[in-house]
Amino acid sequence: MSKQISEEEYRKRLLVRMRQWIAGEKDPYLDNVEITPQQEYVPNKKRLKRYQMDYDKVRGRVYDTEHNPIYRFFQRFYRVAALVCCLLLITILLVEVSFLPAVGSDHNPTNNEVAAKYIEDGLQDTGAVNIVTGMILDYRAFDTFGESNVLFIATCTVLILLRNDKKKGRESAEEEEKRDSFYEPKNDTILQGIASVLVPVIIIFGIYVILNGHLSPGGGFSGGAIIGAGLILYLNAFGFKKTERFFTEKTYKWVSFTALTFYCLAKSYSFYTGAHHLESGIPLGTPGAILSSGLILPLNICVGLVVACTMYAFFALFRKGGF
Amino acid sequence: MQIFQYILLGFLVVCAISVSFSKSLLNSILIYMSYSLIMSIIWILLESPDLAITEAAVGAGVTSLLFFVTLKKIHAMGEEDKKEDE
Amino acid sequence: MQILKWTQFIVGTGMLLFGLLTFVVQLLGVFKFKYVLNRMQAAALGDTLGIGISLIGLMILSGFNFTTLKMGLVVVFLWCASPVSSHLISRLEATTNPHLDNYCEVSDEVKKHLEEENNMQKEEA
Repeated sequence: MSKQISEEEYRKRLLVRMRQWIAGEKDPYLDNVEITPQQEYVPNKKRLKRYQMDYDKVRGRVYDTEHNPIYRFFQRFYRVAALVCCLLLITILLVEVSFLPAVGSDHNPTNNEVAAKYIEDGLQDTGAVNIVTGMILDYRAFDTFGESNVLFIATCTVLILLRNDKKKGRESAEEEEKRDSFYEPKNDTILQGIASVLVPVIIIFGIYVILNGHLSPGGGFSGGAIIGAGLILYLNAFGFKKTERFFTEKTYKWVSFTALTFYCLAKSYSFYTGAHHLESGIPLGTPGAILSSGLILPLNICVGLVVACTMYAFFALFRKGGF
Repeated sequence: MQIFQYILLGFLVVCAISVSFSKSLLNSILIYMSYSLIMSIIWILLESPDLAITEAAVGAGVTSLLFFVTLKKIHAMGEEDKKEDE
Repeated sequence: MQILKWTQFIVGTGMLLFGLLTFVVQLLGVFKFKYVLNRMQAAALGDTLGIGISLIGLMILSGFNFTTLKMGLVVVFLWCASPVSSHLISRLEATTNPHLDNYCEVSDEVKKHLEEENNMQKEEA
């Protein structure tokens, strides 16, 4: 039987506070960190003049080459030190390079072993008919994870730079969007008619490219870009009101978060089992079937989701300053 | 096919040089777009269709779209019209 | 059988060349005309017709198989997308240029419609 606790105590619990923080109900810094609004800068001419005089005085004394032997010494010392460091670095690098095998020689390991390993064992190891996908999502999956994270970080940066936080008034997101698309034709019947035909086709093609990433050319990145382009066309034809029904900031947050977390967990599992020579327990299936090649298909879907959301979010942020 | 590749590579070089030499930013973006399209054809000739799809969708499509929107944001697109009117 | 193959080759190549010729004419038009709407007309018509004819030529050349079907889909897609994009650009020019009648004839109906639209946009903003 659980003990009954008061409302206040319940709110202080770690899990509850974490849930509130994730859902965005409460800003944890709101009452805890003191923030005073910044005052407008007013230049004080008298003070500026005095600063300038002091600065000139100090500068005149420090950079006085004729009477200051220490300054003169260091001026020469820095140049010599920079030269010596550069020469040392160049020598080290050149010596290292001289130990490398010659570029383009037939006996280099990059020319025989790596490529031969990928081409010969690729199908057996990864189960993907498309060797390129097998490489980037199985052998080199960690790099692709970094790429997806770079996309996510790029969106965060654009969000910081271009987000429009003002709720109402002249500078709000709706006003911004109206000003931005002032000259554009709104509710164009021809565009809407064509878009309602083309957008489903484009999105279906994108899904096809993602799902067939391990069988034919394509994969998460290209398919995601195609879906994102379809979403942008839909947005341009029907406006923000229609897209907000299914794509808001919350959707973006949850889709990206879920996809990246799943990618990270799945790949960590497969690296863990691979490094310890354990059976991963994920069936590779018959090569050539849709449901084959183990983790590649779900990872492709994850990358595709992240890329599609990122493309759309970029465009929406540039146009409106919000989703 | 070899000659076709040489012609495409020549186009590529011309595009890459003229991007930096064109005076209007809008023209630069358009030339950059054609650069991406030529590059995607070259990727197909080099037998890597994966890259070709991505190049066509990202390089020619989304990147130039974002560039256009940026130009509009910084009001660099209407400048020429004003000059012409004057 | 041999004759059929030859006709297929000749018809396909002829259509391909004709499509390329259309592109050349379109490019000439784009560089020759001065005003935006004239240029748009040259570009849109040439683009749609040239792509259609050359892709149909390629379809005839490749014979009847799965690739032909894909090319047909590409033709349908481009014929949907290309005219609409040109329509949007021309419409933008027509709605934003206040001296439209300096360049071409504008009937009173169209003028009235454009004015109404401009007023509506101004009221909104």
